[in-house]
Amino acid sequence: MTSLRLAAALALSTLGTLGLGALGLRGTPDLFLLPVGDSARRGGPPLAMVAGLLAGLLEDLVSAPGRLVGLHAFTKILVGYLLAAVAARTVVEKPAAVGGLLAGAVLFEALVLVLLLWILRGEVLFPAPLVLALRAVSTAAVGTALHVAVRVPWRERRAARRRMKLG
Amino acid sequence: MSTPPLTTRRPEILLAVLLSGCLVALSLQVRRPTGETLGERWLQSLLAPFVDTVAGVRTAGGSVSEWSSSRRALLAENARLRGTVERLEADLLRLRDSERDRDRLLALFGAHPSPPAGTLAARLVAVESAGAFRTALLDRGEGDGVAPDAVVVAAEGVLGRVVAVGSGTARVQLLSDRLAAAGVVLARQGRAAVARGDGKGGAAVHYVPAIEPVEPGDLIVTSGTDGIYPGDLRVGTVKTVTRGSESLFWEIQVAMAADPARTARVFVLPPVKKSDVRPGAPGRK
Repeated sequence: MTSLRLAAALALSTLGTLGLGALGLRGTPDLFLLPVGDSARRGGPPLAMVAGLLAGLLEDLVSAPGRLVGLHAFTKILVGYLLAAVAARTVVEKPAAVGGLLAGAVLFEALVLVLLLWILRGEVLFPAPLVLALRAVSTAAVGTALHVAVRVPWRERRAARRRMKLG
Repeated sequence: MSTPPLTTRRPEILLAVLLSGCLVALSLQVRRPTGETLGERWLQSLLAPFVDTVAGVRTAGGSVSEWSSSRRALLAENARLRGTVERLEADLLRLRDSERDRDRLLALFGAHPSPPAGTLAARLVAVESAGAFRTALLDRGEGDGVAPDAVVVAAEGVLGRVVAVGSGTARVQLLSDRLAAAGVVLARQGRAAVARGDGKGGAAVHYVPAIEPVEPGDLIVTSGTDGIYPGDLRVGTVKTVTRGSESLFWEIQVAMAADPARTARVFVLPPVKKSDVRPGAPGRK
């Protein structure tokens, strides 16, 4: 079930990234980070790292053609491990905390990417601050929205409305 | 109760493995300053022996082909050079023969710087011996001006005289013939004597008194008194000197100066005129 959930999430992330890329928008959310965060919250570090590996590879293949394959896999694995570690030590339930954690993950991943490219290629490539900020905010917003949507007890509410109509 | 796997109990191990795998993959893709990636370098290192082997085989094949073509070219050149060498060897033999003829002629002219008028150069074409008779055949005859009693000399000394003349050939009676004789002089003593052929390739000098101090090696020349041979032609040297128990004369064996078996180029001197005959060798004993 977890694998199916992860596969579906990765597929949706891929489609979403492709769609946003087709629109040519800047500062789009990091949709591949969402399955990683979800796996970290649900399955612990191993699943989060596997999800990070798959999501990173897909991101390398889809969103940045021609770049180094494994670059985002590295960062996503690290982020997945850290998110799982945080989830194992604290309870992140409030939407603001989820959004902040995702935004921090986006910034941390950007920092790791800069360091990694500097080590591998010997050049420091900082992302545009505004774009990075937009990406962090949009990722946090999308993640928070999904978190909230998932936590709403839709079935119970629908059953209560039905009982009220009958009563 | 089953034990969870190590990666679940210690996720740091899985983290390290995955990050290391990513780093290795990235390292393989990063292009080096030399223009190649690490992966390409590793691939080249792995394939280098195979590439070297293929290159070696190709080089060896090229060498074999080159060797084959070179061998064909060398064989053709060898055959051509062999023909050239054979032709040059034939030329060399011909030139050496000509040089020997020239040397003989020079020796002949050196021995006789001013040969008498009518002197002919000829070639001894055959030497024959039948018992005690020793003759030779000249390649010149009456048509060339050769006359009977003409004297035949070589560079080393006198050979004999013409006894028969054909149109293109002449027969020479050698001085070693049993019936041949010539007036001679022992040069050191001035003693006149007679030399006769011994029929064995040599001659013997007769009528030299035993009181004459004759020694082996003494020179013997013609005296010019016999009406056949002109004077002062080298006959040979004293080979042995012996004396019979009651004889008054030496028995002298002569080592002939000229060997007809080793002589090809000769001179044919015209017959001696009667007026040129020395009268009893005045001044000589």
